[in-house]
Amino acid sequence: MDIQNTQSQMRKGVLEFCILSIIRQGEVYPSDIVDKMKNANLNILEGTLYPLLTRLKNAGYLTYRWVESNSGPPRKYFLMTDQGLQFYDELERTWKELANAVETLTSFTEGKEILPVEIPNNNQ
Amino acid sequence: MKKVININFQGRVIPIEETAYEILKRYIESLRQFFANEEGKDEIINDIESRIGELFSERLNKGSACITDDDVQAIINSIGRPEDFEAEEAGTSKTEHESTTRSSARYQPGSKGRLYRDESDKLLGGVCAGLANYFRIDPSIMRILFAVITFGGFGTGFLIYILLWIILPSRSLEMQLRKRLFRNPEDKVIAGVASGLAAYFNMSVWIPRLIFALPLVLGIVSSIFQNVFFHFDPFPSVIFGSFGGSLFIIYIVLWAVIPQAQTATEKLEMRGEKVDLNTIKNTIQEDLGNLKTRTEKWSSEVKETFQNKSHAMAGEVNPAIKRTGSRLGHAIGVIFKGFFLFIAGSIAFALLMAMIVLILVMVGLMAGGVSAFPLKGFIIAGAWQNFLAWSTLLLFLGVPVIAFVVWIIRRLSRAKSRNPYIGYTFGSLWTIGLISAILLAASISSDYKTKAGVEEKMSIYQPSNQKLFLKAAPKSFVRYFDGDWYGIHWGGNGSPFYALTEDSLVLRTVQLRIQKSDDSAFHISEIKFSRGASPELARDAAAKIDFPVNQMDSIVNLPRGFNISKAGKFRNQQVLLLIDVPVGKKIEIDHTIYEYSGFNLDLGDGYNDWDWNDDWRNDYSWNSNVEYIMTNDGLKPTHPEEVKDDNEDNNPDEQSQPETPEKPNDIDSSHYHYKPSGDSQNTGIKKAEVSIPSGNTIKTSVKITDIATAFFERFSL
Repeated sequence: MDIQNTQSQMRKGVLEFCILSIIRQGEVYPSDIVDKMKNANLNILEGTLYPLLTRLKNAGYLTYRWVESNSGPPRKYFLMTDQGLQFYDELERTWKELANAVETLTSFTEGKEILPVEIPNNNQ
Repeated sequence: MKKVININFQGRVIPIEETAYEILKRYIESLRQFFANEEGKDEIINDIESRIGELFSERLNKGSACITDDDVQAIINSIGRPEDFEAEEAGTSKTEHESTTRSSARYQPGSKGRLYRDESDKLLGGVCAGLANYFRIDPSIMRILFAVITFGGFGTGFLIYILLWIILPSRSLEMQLRKRLFRNPEDKVIAGVASGLAAYFNMSVWIPRLIFALPLVLGIVSSIFQNVFFHFDPFPSVIFGSFGGSLFIIYIVLWAVIPQAQTATEKLEMRGEKVDLNTIKNTIQEDLGNLKTRTEKWSSEVKETFQNKSHAMAGEVNPAIKRTGSRLGHAIGVIFKGFFLFIAGSIAFALLMAMIVLILVMVGLMAGGVSAFPLKGFIIAGAWQNFLAWSTLLLFLGVPVIAFVVWIIRRLSRAKSRNPYIGYTFGSLWTIGLISAILLAASISSDYKTKAGVEEKMSIYQPSNQKLFLKAAPKSFVRYFDGDWYGIHWGGNGSPFYALTEDSLVLRTVQLRIQKSDDSAFHISEIKFSRGASPELARDAAAKIDFPVNQMDSIVNLPRGFNISKAGKFRNQQVLLLIDVPVGKKIEIDHTIYEYSGFNLDLGDGYNDWDWNDDWRNDYSWNSNVEYIMTNDGLKPTHPEEVKDDNEDNNPDEQSQPETPEKPNDIDSSHYHYKPSGDSQNTGIKKAEVSIPSGNTIKTSVKITDIATAFFERFSL
């Protein structure tokens, strides 16, 4: 059981949710998604983003539109379908429940005042 | 100085360095392979390509003249490599930085350098793994190649191996290969062997599938048309009968040996880069390019070390001596290593050869047993025994063969022992085989438990010339398995089986006994023996023996052998022919009788079953084509001097066998050395003369057939 594995498992679960929440705010170009996520300190490779978008699109949650660009060929912008909105709402509910649960649990242990052990962070 | 080419990339014209273009091409190819099974893979790759194109034009807009290697590498790093996707998905590996360096090593073959022995993945000395690493192919393929060269080229492969073992330095290498053999779980009919092979050799899946399936289809078709092969049971011959059988076994073995591609990296490795002469050539060229820089570096290095050493020499004489000493020790070590390897290698080689011979023998046993063991139909009775026989053959003999081959190949390919169930399966199958072998042996031996005989007096009329001439009828049987059968000479003189056809077996376990008649007439009686599960069954089987004696005046024609039908089964049937010769009458036996095969008469259990003349055992020996006369003292040749010359035993000549019955030797009384009946007072000298040939025949009558029949006798105990 190594820490990186657990971390990436955690990240992986919320990745889809994060991407959908970005797209929900309005039609978006994939590299903008990467940038936005990077700003939020959440790294994703474009190489993983594209397959994910295609999968979501094929599932009917997303659709895309060609937008003319002034430098080169038109670009593909993604936007959300009604079905995608429903899907997102469900994910959001689940996320809130989860966040609540995690919050309650972690704050409960804090309340018990377990001696905080300084864990050296050798991850960075 | 680099060549720049223009490419049309996603609707943009991009000037790009040729090397950068190669990197880009390889990268996109790796993506294509990674997403090979993804729905909408073309769309994904198209999206990524257009994004790369966009990034390219961004760079060009910033003022770059063209796209360089570094640009491409940077873009690839930002988009990510298949390995990184996997790391992100499965979360199994490293930080982004680590995986990037790892994978960039993968795509820059020039950086891997020299030929080493691979310490981390070795069977013997790691030579094959090192070579495989150098050429970036699967080590198992390299090993199989070496094995082929060794056995095909009279051990040259082995010598090369030893040489490389001594020469090459050892180093722990990271596996760098283009391709590995995997089973493809995503596209399978049975276990994905065929599609894995197809992925490895870059061909359509239907080709290996057809190769595996075709003999099976042909086998089924041919079993419909039956008589194409000579077989007893249609079902097993469909699978095991011919070429298809070996392919079937190969499939099973590959199934067991080749791991399944499970992670994305493995799937990528399964398709891998294209392995062809071109890529290997590229690798070598890149390497040669490196060699130039390396030699330059080397010359300066030599200069340096030389200077250093001369400095050291001045100050430290003692350590220098030590160093030369250690160098001498090193040399001796190398020589010793070579010698040791030579010895160990010879032993290993001998063992390997022995093992291969063992495999061949076992496979031969399998093939011989499975395809058409000609006697099977005559020994095995009933569905139960038939079932036991097949399960003995397949499980008791077949499973170890398959297990052994699997073991060898797993060893060669260094397959990780994934599941112990293979062992359990083999073990339990073999145990079932062992049990059925024991049951079969018990069941068969019970069929041979008791022995019984039936005596039958032949009615013959007394020959007018006071002489009987015995001969065996000319060959009349279709000899299906004439001559050699898997190296065993069935039709030969030593065999109890005269001939074998598809549904009948001709036995020639016939013995002739000549004895003194109680009265003044010739008598012939036939005693037929057989074995069986019970005395009744044995007697029934004995009574079924058809051995007619045909008399034409003085000539008695005996059949060449007797038929056993498949329904009748082989129960070690034997025929004993008792010929009573009255005193003073003559007998001659044709050499064709020598075609009969002797057998041991074990009176132990048969003695009480019937009563016959007690002195039947005191029969007389005889040579063929010699006229004998019965006297009160026994059988005597009429021409004693001929007997010595005419020792037929040594060379029974079948070719000279006459087609038409030869007239018995003249009944001319001038040939007689002894007068009939009355003249029973022989001189002692003449007695001594005849006893010599008699002794000869007794000695030579011990034959292989006696051993064979004795074996069946033992079987029943």
